[in-house]
Amino acid sequence: MTRAKLTKWIGIVSFLAVAVDIWLGLWVTPPDAQQGNFVRLVYIHPALAWVALYLAFGVAAICSILYLWPRTRSFTMDRIAASAVEVGVVFTVLTLITGSIWGRPTWGVWWTWDARLTSTALLAVLFVGYLALRRVPADPHVRARRSAIAAIIAAIDVPIVHFSVVWWQTLHQGATVLNPNLTPTIHGIMAWTLLLSFLAFTGLFVWMLLVRFDIAVLEDLDSDESLDVALAQRRAEGAAS
Amino acid sequence: MSESTNSGTSQEMKPEQGAPQIATGSKVRPRLRLAMVGVILLLAVGFLLVKGLGSSLDYFKTVKEAKASETQLGTSVFRLEGVVESGTISQTTLGARFTLTQGTSSIRVVNQGSPPQLFKATMPVIVVGHFAANGSGVFESNQIMVKHSASYIAQHPGRVTAGDGSKN
Repeated sequence: MTRAKLTKWIGIVSFLAVAVDIWLGLWVTPPDAQQGNFVRLVYIHPALAWVALYLAFGVAAICSILYLWPRTRSFTMDRIAASAVEVGVVFTVLTLITGSIWGRPTWGVWWTWDARLTSTALLAVLFVGYLALRRVPADPHVRARRSAIAAIIAAIDVPIVHFSVVWWQTLHQGATVLNPNLTPTIHGIMAWTLLLSFLAFTGLFVWMLLVRFDIAVLEDLDSDESLDVALAQRRAEGAAS
Repeated sequence: MSESTNSGTSQEMKPEQGAPQIATGSKVRPRLRLAMVGVILLLAVGFLLVKGLGSSLDYFKTVKEAKASETQLGTSVFRLEGVVESGTISQTTLGARFTLTQGTSSIRVVNQGSPPQLFKATMPVIVVGHFAANGSGVFESNQIMVKHSASYIAQHPGRVTAGDGSKN
């Protein structure tokens, strides 16, 4: 199977899995004893956060380190990191939006400045900053190194977000699955639907990352080409004068 | 990565070796743009740190902590956390009265505004407000936030309505 075909199938399977997750989450799973129907956000919100924090920014941090390490330095690492951050920012913003929608009926507020929410907002700003930094014209090597350092600094916030509910008092509840005791406090069909949501959004992340990476390669090819055109024009000018 | 685009013309491309070029569409100088990105980023991060460190590191005081430092707190606004004691909730024209407990300590709360949907006895909540100016020890709040747990348990399928009145 070619890369393009594999990418396509990962996309199709992931979208189907998300559809099944939504069906299970909205129709099959029961309401929660405490939250009633509001619990259904649990089949989307944590999975989005999982993709954003651990997968996207994890991949970005690892590839950035691999770029900075001379033996593994290549523009492929730089492109993967940039693609992962772009997908990660989308998922972080979706995490903030779905969390806000969940917070209003259950907590009673759209937003509060507790440690979990504040550190997540900070994460979004830091990685938007990374994307802005990449847009600053620079020598490609300089840009890649600069971006790699920025990604690693921004990624320091990831463990802070994760442990914020343990280290500080927060309105946000602690972890259901990855809690300090590693004892999930969710059972039956609710737990299976939660697991499916993690798998489905993980697949969606892989698909988006592959597609975005291919676009990054094409973008660089395109600008290489326009550089060739520009060089040819300059040479022609030189010959004419 | 294939190298099949190698057609031997001047348009030879090798994405793996070729350094990506950045289109410089803007007339703003790179250094200035870098500085602008830096300034905007610093402002945003600064805002979040001021907003966050100001409130999130000491997000709430528990009932015991608040009682212990009642005189120092005076009428300053802070978040108070405790469990809603059973049988203490009563409606007022402006909102609700109830008692927050933590172990054996308790604080009477008068809230302005209707509580959120999940508000009920035995739930841990955070109220935002201050101690009454008359020194009665009553906490006057204008916002209630409900802390729900990280446990998810199916409502009993046999029940028509749950304890909080919501339909199954």
